[in-house]
Amino acid sequence: MIFQINFKSGMPIYLQLADQIKAAAASGALRPGEALPSIRPLAEELRVNRNTIAKAYSELESLGVIETLPGRGCFLKENHSDLRKEVRRKLLIEEIDQAIVQAHHLQVPRPEFLELVQERMDALDEKRRANVIHKED
Amino acid sequence: MDSPTPAIQIENLAYAYGRTEAVHDLSLTVQPGRCYGLFGRNGAGKTTTMKCLLNLLRPQRGQVRVFGLDPAKAEVAVKSRLAYVPDQVVFYPWMSVRETLDYLASFRERWNQKTEEELLERFRLDPAQRTDGLSKGQRTQVALIAAICPETDLLVLDEPTSGLDPIVRREFIETVIGAYQEGNPGNRTIFVSTHLITEFEGLIDEFTIIDRGRDVLTLDSDQARERFRKIRARFAQAPPEIDLKAALRVRREGRELEVIANGAGPELLERLRQHNPETLTTEALTLEEIFVAALKT
Repeated sequence: MIFQINFKSGMPIYLQLADQIKAAAASGALRPGEALPSIRPLAEELRVNRNTIAKAYSELESLGVIETLPGRGCFLKENHSDLRKEVRRKLLIEEIDQAIVQAHHLQVPRPEFLELVQERMDALDEKRRANVIHKED
Repeated sequence: MDSPTPAIQIENLAYAYGRTEAVHDLSLTVQPGRCYGLFGRNGAGKTTTMKCLLNLLRPQRGQVRVFGLDPAKAEVAVKSRLAYVPDQVVFYPWMSVRETLDYLASFRERWNQKTEEELLERFRLDPAQRTDGLSKGQRTQVALIAAICPETDLLVLDEPTSGLDPIVRREFIETVIGAYQEGNPGNRTIFVSTHLITEFEGLIDEFTIIDRGRDVLTLDSDQARERFRKIRARFAQAPPEIDLKAALRVRREGRELEVIANGAGPELLERLRQHNPETLTTEALTLEEIFVAALKT
């Protein structure tokens, strides 16, 4: 697994790591039962304090994403369908927040914004339907 | 529950060389297990502070404690609990690397022979080589080996990477993270002074910025990352007077404003937005950028 720490993201390092591990789990880059990198080599590679890695793993453990087997390491937990949903929601929330900020900046008020969302969803549904009909031809 | 004894406690430290005040009213606390950075420009007072920890200088005012001990009164006890890498590494020039390490090991109760072997190999050092034949980077590496092998609870590094090439610098930090933090991490405390902050960005949990002998800012690294923002706004016409008192620093150039925020980011963004800027952007800062921003105030 390859991690990327961004010191310019304004986000605590341990959270960046935890997020990347969650994303890896959601995308299948990390599979249930697979081991996470050991703390020492990962810390050395990223040039990050070991406590930070430990904190990220601790956070994931408290969220039920990973489990620690003493003497064996940390492993991605088997059943994390909740995780997939949670990660997907979170990613979508980030996009939605950005759109809301833009709307505010462009002075589009809330009722109009929500109307626009409905309009766009309808338009996409229409497009999808059109594609299906087209394929059936 | 008792709070643990800090690894380092500095309270209102003051030291002057003649009439030049090198350190003035400096206070900071390093809890055990933390990696603490003392960031400052050249001449800011970092080395003077370090010397007070090691009893190379006596505080003129205030006090310094290492694991609760006064370095002036319990010098041997303090020195046995810490290891130090100075900014100018000096060895007996006629001694070989092997002889130097043996000599330094003789002062120590504990010495991890296996770590010594691993590090000598990692750094590709020839034990038979005389120290006066070593490059600066290699001397620093020997000093680092000598500081890690005794496995002390506290590692004090004074400007450890200045003058070293980028590869050696990175290796140094990897070694500190790898070899030094081995064992009980709760008992491995690092106190490093530097002005090369970029490399240490990942290592440092908490830092104090020192400038002209005074502590300017003390923050947890993650908190600093969350609080500091650089906000840029451009207006159609020269911007009116906007209340930006909450900002750390404001810079004005024609129709553009650059605002550095320490925590008041959202508030400042809102104030700027109310004046309908053409563009409004926010970016987070690295620790080095925060250092520069804090000192330009």
